[in-house]
Formats: sequence, C-alpha cells, structure tokens
Amino acid sequence: MDIPASNAVPTDKPVEFFAMAESAYPNIPYSGQKKSKSIYVDMPNGYFDPIQGQRNLETEMETLVSFEKHGFDGAMLTEQHNGPIGGTPSVLAAASYLAAKTERIKIVAAGPLMNAYQSPIRLAEEIALIDTLSRGRLVVGLPMGLGQQYHGLGMNPATARERHAEGVELLIKALSQPGPFTWRGKYFNHNYVNVWPQPAHPIEFILPSGGSIETLGVAAKYRFAYQSVLSQRGMLVSTFNTFRDLCRKEGYEPDPRQSTFVVEVHVAETDEIARQEAGATYVWNYQNWFRAHAADSYPPGYTSARSMRGILGGNYQIGMEKITLQDIIDNKWAIIGSPETVTAGLEEVIRETGIGRVMLNFSTGIKPRWMLQKTVGLFAEQVLPKFRPAGVPLSDTDPRYGYRTTLEYQAKRRKDVPAPSILRDGYLQDVHKLASPGVDARIRPWKGDDEEIIA
Amino acid sequence: MPDEKFADRSWPYWTVPSTVDIEGVTTAYRRKGQGETAIYLHGEKGTRAWLPLHEALAETFDVIAPEHPGYGDTERHPDQSDFVDLVLHYDAFLRALDVERPHLIGTSLGAWIAVNLAIHFPGRFASITLITPHGVRIVDDEFIDMFRFPYEEEAAALFNDREDRVAGELEQEGGVEDILTGIAENATAALLYWNPRYDIKLDRRLQRVSIPSLVIAAEDDRIVGNRQAARYAELLPNSSYLEIPGPDGAPSSHGVIFEQPHEIAQAITRFTAASTPTHVA
Repeated sequence: MDIPASNAVPTDKPVEFFAMAESAYPNIPYSGQKKSKSIYVDMPNGYFDPIQGQRNLETEMETLVSFEKHGFDGAMLTEQHNGPIGGTPSVLAAASYLAAKTERIKIVAAGPLMNAYQSPIRLAEEIALIDTLSRGRLVVGLPMGLGQQYHGLGMNPATARERHAEGVELLIKALSQPGPFTWRGKYFNHNYVNVWPQPAHPIEFILPSGGSIETLGVAAKYRFAYQSVLSQRGMLVSTFNTFRDLCRKEGYEPDPRQSTFVVEVHVAETDEIARQEAGATYVWNYQNWFRAHAADSYPPGYTSARSMRGILGGNYQIGMEKITLQDIIDNKWAIIGSPETVTAGLEEVIRETGIGRVMLNFSTGIKPRWMLQKTVGLFAEQVLPKFRPAGVPLSDTDPRYGYRTTLEYQAKRRKDVPAPSILRDGYLQDVHKLASPGVDARIRPWKGDDEEIIA
Repeated sequence: MPDEKFADRSWPYWTVPSTVDIEGVTTAYRRKGQGETAIYLHGEKGTRAWLPLHEALAETFDVIAPEHPGYGDTERHPDQSDFVDLVLHYDAFLRALDVERPHLIGTSLGAWIAVNLAIHFPGRFASITLITPHGVRIVDDEFIDMFRFPYEEEAAALFNDREDRVAGELEQEGGVEDILTGIAENATAALLYWNPRYDIKLDRRLQRVSIPSLVIAAEDDRIVGNRQAARYAELLPNSSYLEIPGPDGAPSSHGVIFEQPHEIAQAITRFTAASTPTHVA
C-alpha cells in the first residue's frame, strides 16, 4: 500500500520521546509447540520463579527511572494480565513507584484497563492519587484492552466498547467537574461522584486504537492523544490524517503530541552489531509474543462486524512462526541499527506520519539486562541529542505543578478554604491556631447557624 | 425487505422463514407439521435452516422453530442483555401466534432459554425436553471454553472429530462469511452468559418446573462437558434422563441433533406420548 502524505501542519515544536522497557517473563515453552497455551490467558503460572520475576520487574523499573537521567521526556509503563506477557498487571501501582523515584520525567501509565474496574471512579481515585504524588506528571492511556484480556479477566467483550465509552465520559467528568454529582448511566450508577483528592494538573490522556472512526472522534472531542496500534505504515498515516481532520472539525488544530505510536528500537555501534546482538530477540517477539489465534484476539462482540471482515479477509493466519529479522526490518516494525540508521529511521517515521510524540520500546523484556542497558545508553548518548539541539529534556520548559518547598507550598496554597474548627467558649475556633498559646484562634461567635457550604 | 435478503440463499436446508413483529423486532420462524404444538428453541448453531431434526419432529408435532433475537434472521432487541429479555420476547411471541400449552424442546442455549420459560410460566407448557443443555453451575468440572475454539477446531469439538461427515450440511455462505455469522451470533451468547457461564439461581428455581421433563445427553460432549445434563436431570423434579448412543458405536457428540436427528425425534415422541395425558395424533 502506498503511504499517503501526512496532513500534519509543519511545526518547530520538538518531538517528544516517551520510552519503555517492558518486563515480560520469557522463560516459558516455545509457543510453536502443539499443546501451546496462550501467553495472554492460560500459560500456567507454575513457570514463574519469584527470583526471576523480581529481576525482570527491577530491570524494568530501574531502566524507567534511568530514563530521567538520560533525558527522555516520559517513562512509559504498559499493563498486561494473566501471563508472562508483561510484569505489571497494575500500571498505576507501578506508576506510584516511579513517582517516588523520579522528579521531572512524565510518568506514562499506558494504560489501565477501564473495563477491569468495577467503576471508573476507582480508576479516577488512583489517577488523582498518583498525579498528586508525582506532582502533576501523570499521563494516562485508556486502552480497551486486548481481546485476550477479556477471556483472561472475564470482562464481557460484547459490552466492552459501550462500557468503555461511558466509563471515559464519567472518568473525565469526575476529574474535571466539581462534585458531588450523580451519574445515571447504562453501565454505572453513582449517587455521589466526589473524588478526593483531585489531580495536581490537567491529566493528559491517550486513546490507543486501531483507528475506528468512533474512537478517533472521541479522541478528537476530548483532546486526547490518539495512539495508533496499527503496524502497516500506510494505514497508520491514513488514520493519523483522519484524526487530525476530526480535531479540525472540532474547531482546533491538534497538538502534534496528540498523534503517537510505539516504535521498537535497538541501537548498537553498527548495523551489523545491532542485528547480530538483538536480531534473535526481535524474532522471538514475533514468533512467541505477537502470536494469537483470531478467536482469542477477537472475542465475540469485541470488534464490529465490518472490522472483523477486514481482519479475517486480510491474512490473520499469516504464519508468524516463519518470520525473519529481515521481514521485521523491511516492514518497519522495528528500527535496528547504528546510531545513524536509528536516527534516520526515526526522522523518517516522524516525517511520514506527522507524529509529535514517539513511544520508543527498547524491549518487551526479552533482551538480557546488559543488552538493554547498553542500547539505552547508546541511544541516549548518540541518538537522542540529535533531536535536542538545546541539550535539555522537554520537561525543563514544560509547566511544573505542585510545590517543591515549604516556601512554595505557603505561597501557592488556597487561602479561601475553611480552617479546621471546633466550638470553644461560644466561638468557632481554628484548631491549628489553638496549638499556639497567645494566638487569637477565634473565627466568629457561634450562633448555631450554618455557614454556607461552597457549591 | 425480507424477500430481497433471502433471494440468493441456496444452502442445504435453507427455507424462507415466516416473520412476525414482536415489540419492534422482526422475528423469523419456521412452522410445519400436525398434532400438538412443539416450540423448538435452537442452540448456538443451526440457524437459517429447516433441519432434518425439525422435519422428523414435524411428523408428530406442529413444530414452531423461531430464531432467537440476535440469531439467524431475527435482530436483537435494542437493550437486550439477559435471559429475562428472551423470556419476555417469547411470551409475546407465543401470544402473537396464539399458541396454547405447547411442548418445549430446546438444544444447548435453547434448553437454557426453555427452562427459563418454564420457570417463569409454570402452567403454560405441556412438557419440556432439554437436549445437550448447559447453564447450571458445576463447581469442579473440567473447564471447556466454548468462546475460545480456534475457528478451524470448533467443528471437530462439536462432532467428536466426525465433522467431515456433516460439515458440508452446515456450510451456508461458506468461508469467512460463515465465521462472521458465527461471531455475530456468539456476541448474543456473550451478552447472555460470558460471565458468569451459569445461572446460580437455577439450583433453586428448577424445582418450579414440575411438568414432565426429558434431558437428552450426548455420551461424550466436548462443548458443554458431561456433567450438565445429569445435573439438570437431578434438579428437575419430574425428569427422565437419556443418553443417545453414538453412530457406529462411537460416543455421541454435542452436535447430536445434526448427527442423529431421527433418534432424537423418536425419543421425544416416545416421551411426550408416555407423559402427557391426552395425545392427539
């Protein structure tokens, strides 16, 4: 398929780089075996060694923390369930770890499964909590979840899209409109939507999708980022173009960062060393990781009949087991090579698609720790600087939220909220002031009246 | 219009259905035969056809075979999500066709719907036959996930590896189109029983079904397992249990209504004759 021209408006705004290094547990049987279980559903967890699991998770977390010192713009976590596919089944719990261990880098939780929560209010609470702990650095993806996750976790695929859509609406309202308010929906009924705490900053949301017009419309309407999960370059560009046009129809020019997708990268000293060193790990991904039969990936009702026709029509059964490294490189499913090759590859991606944010995936978890650290280090020293002529990460000039010192706290905190009060000697008195002798803690005489509650 | 939609259909056992509007849903059904009325409620497979089983039953009964909302040529109700929706639909359907005291016959999901009808309307049906039913809760059964069969393996499980003998009969538009039809119908099933895969309240509610009941099981059911039918028979207060012997000594399959329709029809005919006080020929 020809690659259409990108309709992104040319911009000087530097491309933002999120980076991830996932924590798959690769010590499981080869997926091509006859009685193979699904790594997304029923691979027995008897294969799990807690020591190896710790290693995988710590490698992911430490690598993510290191991204800040290297100068990336976001440390990205993905959520996986029910198998060795990934080590973080709660991306928000993992995000709180990163919030504690980092200062400036965006924390990208991409993302919690809306439909795995009993209500989006639970999700809203976790988001608000971690955004506060991170001082306003949380970015949240809102994926539908893989079809396999509907099998694995028992969520109903036939109601998935509708429930997710209502959940998104309620989530946004809960995090942006004052409560308490009621919600009388088809899937959620709440008497008191009243989330405390509220986030520290206006959360950036990302909607991962195959590019259905309905999803693109939602992303455009709410000013979310659209993360394409397609792999064919021409179709990718096509959906970004559609998305950007939908934003324009909504009355605004989309921020380039609103268009994004995952690019797998491996950089080494030369093209040949990169292929030699990491080639097998990429083939492993495709032969083991991205293999699923269509009944698993598309449980009934999960996707529209029209989409399903397209999926079944186009070679869903293509043998991933025969894939080679050259296939992966030729299809541009990964950029593997020297710093020059990777830089050129990324520039081409950005130019062809018009994305303003790249999600770099350094490893699904298959690369040994030494290899991962080597490639991340090389990338940070020899590729990233090509995109940062000023020599500083974007967070240096992005707005800051929260406070860093007691001084800043005192300056920024609201003065119009009620003081914690008790009744003493016929007066409403400020509890904190009463702690200090000689200070007049009286607020006003108590007449048994009710002060007006802020609406 | 229905006639246009049906014009190009020529697959085995295809017949043009009748339709009736039920609360805004155009409901497709087929009717043939003489004698006492029997409502045949289909399972997850076997729509858009007047099958050999229907034909065999029509020798003894006035058979009405509707297609459930969300199956075959009957669209779903706009807010359809549970068994009560189907109970109400079939209540209206039976009133629209002015049917009195029919026998109920249901296969697989159709059996689950049938018991719900009998539970809600204890005096309305003359008898109930459940063929390879599922829907009761069995705690320690080996789990067969009927929503996870790879498309190419489903027929083998349905027919105990004898699918070559019958698969041609079940092929409709063929290839991808049949898979898509199956997926759409499975979405209706998913709304009903994705989670949980059983109705825990059947444990107590089945006692309301005091009419004569027959539970027909396959000898080796690789879709719903081999405990469902027996458990239904246990919970129904007035039940008989029958396993249909398979073809050529091999165990019968979940697809027994396709493989052995005459044995099924005979068993039901014997049962209704023996258990209902007046049998009008």
